Amino acid sequence: MSTHPLRPAMKRRTLIGSAAAGAALALGLAGCGGSVPGEDPTSADGGEPAGDGAVEITLSMQNPNVEAQDPATYEIVQAFMAENPDVVIHVEGQTVDEHNQAMQIAAQSGTLPEIFWVYNSLATQMADEGYLADLGPLLDSGDLRASFPESMLSGYVSDSSSGPVQYGVPYQGLVTGFFVNTDILAEYGLAQPATFEDLLAVAETLSAEGVTTIAKGANGTSFSVWAFLTMLNRYGYEERIDAILAGEDSYVNEDFLRLYEHIDELAEAGAFSPNVSTQDYVQAVEEYTSGNAAMLDAGVWAAGQIQESSVGAATTFWAGPTFSDGVGDQQLYMNAPSAPLVVSAAAMEDEEVAAAVERFLAFYYSDTGQQILVDNDQTPVTTYEPQVDESQTVFSSVLDVINADGWSSPEAQPDLVISAEQSSAMYDSIYGVIQGVFTPGEALQVVQDTFE
Amino acid sequence: MRWLSRPWQLAGMVLPALIIYSLYFTYPVVYSVLQSFTDAKAFGSSTIVGAENYTSMVDDPLFWSSLRNTAIILVISLCLLLPGAFGLALLLGRRIRGAGVLRTMVFAPNVVAPILIGLIWVFILDPHLGLLNELLRLVGVAEPPAWIGGTTLSPYSIGSVYVWQTVGFIMTIFYAGLKMLPGDVMEAAELDGAAGLKRLRYVTVPMLRETIGITTVLVITGSFKIFELVVQLTGGGPVHLSETLVSYTYHVTFGLQNYGYGMALAVITSVLGVAVALGYLAFLRRKATAA
Repeated sequence: MSTHPLRPAMKRRTLIGSAAAGAALALGLAGCGGSVPGEDPTSADGGEPAGDGAVEITLSMQNPNVEAQDPATYEIVQAFMAENPDVVIHVEGQTVDEHNQAMQIAAQSGTLPEIFWVYNSLATQMADEGYLADLGPLLDSGDLRASFPESMLSGYVSDSSSGPVQYGVPYQGLVTGFFVNTDILAEYGLAQPATFEDLLAVAETLSAEGVTTIAKGANGTSFSVWAFLTMLNRYGYEERIDAILAGEDSYVNEDFLRLYEHIDELAEAGAFSPNVSTQDYVQAVEEYTSGNAAMLDAGVWAAGQIQESSVGAATTFWAGPTFSDGVGDQQLYMNAPSAPLVVSAAAMEDEEVAAAVERFLAFYYSDTGQQILVDNDQTPVTTYEPQVDESQTVFSSVLDVINADGWSSPEAQPDLVISAEQSSAMYDSIYGVIQGVFTPGEALQVVQDTFE
Repeated sequence: MRWLSRPWQLAGMVLPALIIYSLYFTYPVVYSVLQSFTDAKAFGSSTIVGAENYTSMVDDPLFWSSLRNTAIILVISLCLLLPGAFGLALLLGRRIRGAGVLRTMVFAPNVVAPILIGLIWVFILDPHLGLLNELLRLVGVAEPPAWIGGTTLSPYSIGSVYVWQTVGFIMTIFYAGLKMLPGDVMEAAELDGAAGLKRLRYVTVPMLRETIGITTVLVITGSFKIFELVVQLTGGGPVHLSETLVSYTYHVTFGLQNYGYGMALAVITSVLGVAVALGYLAFLRRKATAA
């Protein structure tokens, strides 16, 4: 006997309806997006409303709190607005993944911000579809192009029916490697390593003492394998990637296998953070800056934060180990263009906005703008000779590495010349070995599968 | 005053809601299904690839691991969440001192954003820094398990946190259902000698069949939608081995920019969710008919 007032058929329909509606929400997730640019933009001028007649543009970045996490960009914006009171720049930001997702949705919905940071793999697709402005004319006016090393611009050119399009300009230099706490090494009677054998010996010694050698965090930040990407270059990545992409070579090869076996040796020696799986990159930085790790796999962007921490005075920068069984030149550091700053093509259709964007970019790459980068521990992306304050010891050690005689940089970081799917697999392959999930052979196959 | 009783007039009243619903729900769903048969990327034109996205799932180990993880979470939810919530509703439905406060406390996790729930539980479950393993070490467990971050226990931990987060909500539905039971029937059952567990088995549970059906459907669909907990607790790691179907769909779609395959995953996720829910409802109906 039913106690419910509804007829049985109606009850069935109600339940079936609720089941279908609830389950369909999963599909709805795919059909709708996340946050979109333009929501609660934080004006870099402290939220002041634009004055009458002022042109407003939005700069969308890959940090939730640009002022705190990317002070260089924030200060450039501030300085630009001080010199150009007729332009108001709203700075907004989200985490890397959220930001890239938001830019995809914004492009498809016609709501792209005027200027934004984006992964190069996404930028090339956006450029091919006409979402991005050609910055070539801007670079050619006022001879701005001449202030860039050729390698800083060549990675952001796409071919279109009307010729090459300069769709992006370098946001900051991508100088990556290890920050080393020399006090920790000295405490255990260790010298700064130079070769892989040195690094392995350091890891074995520190591990026996319960000290982490390399602070790393994989949780949601699987891209944080910068020093290991440079190591790929020490095993011939740059020379063979074109052939791998063309299907004439394979990522599964004896040279790369040796590198992955070395990563495995480091993992076996207990070199990495014990909670590498559950902490993220930001927590790995905190692990290092709080003196709980001897090294940090990061880049020049972290120099300022490290300088201000308790380990700043003891920190020096290292390009990473050389390998006796490596391939080709071992004296490599990574100083390549990072992901680009790009400009929405739609924004440039408005003459006033276009002029404001051009003025801002010209300021960004002027000596004044580049010195603000340097003051915030970022390497200049132009040929500007930086004036480094003597208090910037961590940043100076980065400059020492990239200015060392006989050392050079690859044209690009390995993950920036392949697709998002391939680079994701590359990160997974490295972290997979570090976390003991993959054998070196399995890790190589994970990447190769994405090339097939 | 005219009554709006003609069919076309009634349809006209429903039309605005129908248009909005179609725009914001039906269209994205239909669009997603169509996309699942293409090789769509983030941008650019796409070509129809037929069922290729669906067939490639068979060879995708991460799809199978995310399906397995979702199934584990579903089973944990069904085995722990429903009986637990029902038990709590029975317990807190009694006239005991402080029951209202306890009900509020049990319901509290449900009003906290899932992303914060994840954050709270990271501090508890982290194998190296977490409270749980710290306690286990204190009582002499030399190598406590990797609740999250390992290759084995992550889905069980995610499922358990989901149970903790949702139990208050499901309990509230059961509590409301228990309060709706007619007092005279319960009294009559007691007079007939049905008390305690007997009354629970032969009177209370059968009369709550509809409530149990609805809560089970909610738990099933909820289990298939878990996303934020995965992001916060494990990030899908290590190397995507703790992804659920929804978080893996997100990774493929927005991380790898493989929209076609991502939409196919979304379709399969939805179909599985609906199938499990409808299967359960069919089982309930058969059981009711047999009774």
